[in-house]
Amino acid sequence: MSKLGAVVEAVEKHGKFVLDQVKRARTDEAFGRELTERWAKLKSEIPITKAPTGLQLPRFALPEIDEPGEIARYLFGEGLPGEFPYLAAAYREMYLEPLQTNGAIETGSYGNRKSPDTVAAVAGRGPRSRQQQNGANGKSAPAPKVRPPEEPTRLFSGLMLAEDTNKRFHFLSAHQRSKRLSTAFDGPTLYGIDSDADGVFGKIGEGGVAIDTVEDMVRLYDGFDLGSPDFSASMTISGPAPIMMAMYIAAAKRRFGDNVVPKLRGTVQADIFKEVQAQNETIFPVEASLRFLCDMIEWTSENMPRWYPVSISGYHIGEAGSTPVQQAAYTLSNGFAYVEMLMARGADVNVFGPRLSFFLDCGLDVEYIALSRVSRKIWAIGMRDVFGAGPKAQLFKLHTQTSGRSLIAAEFKNNLTRTAAELMLAYMNATNSCHSNSADEPFTTPSEEWIRLASHSQAILLEESGIFKHTMNMLSGSPGMKAVERAVENAIVEEFREIERLGGVMGAVENRYQRSQIQTAAHRYEQQIYDGTRPIVALNRYRNGSDDMPEVELVRTPRSKQQQQIDRLKKFKAKNAGKAEQALDKLAAIVDSDENCFPALLEAAEVCSLGQISERLQEVVGRFRPMV
Amino acid sequence: MRSPVRVLTAVPICDGHDSAINTINLEFIRHGIEVVYLGFHRYVSDIVRAAIQEDVAAVGISSYNGGHIEFFAEVVRVLRRKGASDIAVFGGGGGTITQADVKLMKRRGVDQIFFAGTSLEQMADYVRDHYGKRRAKRSGNGDLALARKLTEIEEAFTSGKKPQTRTPARNSHRAQVIGFTGPGGAGKTTLIDELVLRFLHDQPSGRLAILSHDPSVVGEGALLGDRATMINSQDDRIFMRSMATRGQAGGLSPATESCLELLAHSGFDYVFIETVGTGQEAMPFRSKLVDQTVLVMNPDYGARLQLQKIVMLDVAEIVVVNKTDLDRAKAALLEIEQRLTQNKRKQQIVATVAKRHRDRGVDELYELITKNGGTRASGASRTAQRAVPTAAKVKSR
Repeated sequence: MSKLGAVVEAVEKHGKFVLDQVKRARTDEAFGRELTERWAKLKSEIPITKAPTGLQLPRFALPEIDEPGEIARYLFGEGLPGEFPYLAAAYREMYLEPLQTNGAIETGSYGNRKSPDTVAAVAGRGPRSRQQQNGANGKSAPAPKVRPPEEPTRLFSGLMLAEDTNKRFHFLSAHQRSKRLSTAFDGPTLYGIDSDADGVFGKIGEGGVAIDTVEDMVRLYDGFDLGSPDFSASMTISGPAPIMMAMYIAAAKRRFGDNVVPKLRGTVQADIFKEVQAQNETIFPVEASLRFLCDMIEWTSENMPRWYPVSISGYHIGEAGSTPVQQAAYTLSNGFAYVEMLMARGADVNVFGPRLSFFLDCGLDVEYIALSRVSRKIWAIGMRDVFGAGPKAQLFKLHTQTSGRSLIAAEFKNNLTRTAAELMLAYMNATNSCHSNSADEPFTTPSEEWIRLASHSQAILLEESGIFKHTMNMLSGSPGMKAVERAVENAIVEEFREIERLGGVMGAVENRYQRSQIQTAAHRYEQQIYDGTRPIVALNRYRNGSDDMPEVELVRTPRSKQQQQIDRLKKFKAKNAGKAEQALDKLAAIVDSDENCFPALLEAAEVCSLGQISERLQEVVGRFRPMV
Repeated sequence: MRSPVRVLTAVPICDGHDSAINTINLEFIRHGIEVVYLGFHRYVSDIVRAAIQEDVAAVGISSYNGGHIEFFAEVVRVLRRKGASDIAVFGGGGGTITQADVKLMKRRGVDQIFFAGTSLEQMADYVRDHYGKRRAKRSGNGDLALARKLTEIEEAFTSGKKPQTRTPARNSHRAQVIGFTGPGGAGKTTLIDELVLRFLHDQPSGRLAILSHDPSVVGEGALLGDRATMINSQDDRIFMRSMATRGQAGGLSPATESCLELLAHSGFDYVFIETVGTGQEAMPFRSKLVDQTVLVMNPDYGARLQLQKIVMLDVAEIVVVNKTDLDRAKAALLEIEQRLTQNKRKQQIVATVAKRHRDRGVDELYELITKNGGTRASGASRTAQRAVPTAAKVKSR
């Protein structure tokens, strides 16, 4: 049995445990009383908050129950926000407006005692958890200052050359307190190919930014303080991710010195399994890719405690056409497979576990009402009960992106509405960060007009509307949501069983199980659009009768810019020719041994281009053989 | 009966968006079209080479990552330069290809672009209506003419006529023909591609042809997908042809034998022929069709008794047990070795992990194939000439 089989058992056992607690609460009087008392205390400690209209509300909402069995079912089965199994949220408070602290905490019917967490009662994830750590470590330390929370909005960008993307980053983050940048790379970069390679002209800077060298990486984040606690960078790249990570570190060192390394915050996607299953941007054979990934995770977990070296992604699985359940099931099982692999190498789950992050798609199918909630629960159970992880390593820290596949070219302004509905679902699932797509994405890399609207849609939802800023659990626990949770959980566990039957994630990958399941689902989706069983407004119903495509502003990379990138890459190569060869030889030798190759990669990234490094690595470990 | 329309589909370089093309491939097949699928992240040169060797009527390109104007135009340009201007280029890219782009692309020779919202049915109909015409003969000796001759043979068999191609002169150079067969999923395609990699390194000016088979039913389409996973075989020194079985049982096509004869006398050093995945009773290669037969198995054949039923174990010169990284490999190797010992023939058994880069088992298989074949005189004395141990020897690492 692979560990996935053990996860299935753990999830079932947890379900049974909850039922046992419900029964015990009803039959064991002392236990029932204990729960009822805890419940009353809990309610009495909830701070009161005030809407702009003057309406008073509890800062987090609990179900209106008082029977011990039901209290047990809620506390053990769902958990308070920030408590195992984290169905509601990974943290006690998210998205909430800061409370007024100058003695102005209102009291009300929920009680008049301050929450023990009042000081830290701010929205977002980062600051709160850090403050708790501070409090626990230094008894005599002064009360930590309340820092404004990070916004969950994280906008994805990447176009043309590094300086163009840099300009876009500054445009997007101009009004944000925290700078949370997410970087899209162009095709050649994603495949580890240099801009001056034969056959890629035309692709340079298309669909993302062209990065060949550490010098490009310096340009990309110019003007941002990479070591600041308010800055984080995310890089959506997987095949050559360890190389790009090394370039990012090299660029940071050039600008801020060696001491910046432990301060770097951000995420690199680096998810090889989903590439092989769905996105097809793998450049080395699977086993070699996984070794490079684990080398990187071990190195960054030690040396960059605030970095997320992998973003275990269902987004691309969903975009390739999977059902939502397949998306969650493959993402979670991939995650468990990484954990199993790292532990087999001797890594400590409580060191690397908290540095794993997740990325899901959010579309319009009904499953999305609770998909991430259920994923969070299954992850926590698996990590705790199968891998023995402590609380910090149980958290399913999630980035969500609205669905690109749901965006339609015909009458494309409707995409604003689609994205808005998806955003609502994403936040109902308590995502830790979120990207909202631009309406013009069926045609082009977003232009400024539409990406600005996409960013505003999040501000409207989180800042203008009162849906998420006053009360945690505002929309949790409806009978419908619970029904979806149960159905989705059962379906995910059923998928786990199938993967387990095929020998776990690796076995299923080799049998191309996930690929063929995704392709079948994609085909069914297309057929449903064509036969009308899947309604798409302005496509298969309510058409305006015109097939004309709208005039949208296209973002394309001029030939002169593509040539400029080639020219400066050639200059870089000429300048570093001797050193590059040495660094590559050293890297190749270390890869051939079993040592961790990430330090050698760091050295190579200083003087070699991306293509030079990936080519040399391919000589040693081979090329990826696609599965179709 | 008319031959099915053959098209090649692919996704451009630096683009992994294969969801649309996978769906379209399935729909084309349902509409009776034979699709040679080259896969994603493909260079122009690979697409053009494949289109010529497979002699398709048209190339369909699905592009979602930008740069389509340059890429499509380059495919047209290189096809023309190679003398294959009768191969049409079509494609799509959802909303990423605008109407203005299409005007420009058509001016540069692209035949058709399908916009977002075109139904799958419409696309399949267009392909059948526009690319189903019989095409003119080609003269000359290059791959272009060879590919067209293979098409003529295939079409003659489909329409029930004897092919018109002349039998090659008896004294012309004949390539070594190696037959690869075995159950589906044993790793034949990967193994062949790894052998090709060794051939390309070992024989710096040699040429090799591959004739690969995928199943299809009479009058229906087929997905010919081996090229997509054969990364090393996309090389000008490799001529690869994908054939659908067009209703014939046993792992080969009705036209295989004639096509093989032609390929064997077309200046190649080796011709590799790969059957579709076969069952226990299959014996796909008639006598003298191939010089050596390689049976590729994986360790998961079930109970030991099953080995007694596999006919090819009596016939094959070389038995490859692939995927020997699997748990069952050791037991499987022993069982198969014992099975071969019963035969009292000089059969070779080789353990490989074809998916592993620089696998020593594959090196060994390459040696066996190339060194044995080099001294072949006639079919009758073939096995006697081999300098191999009398008992089958397990060579595992």
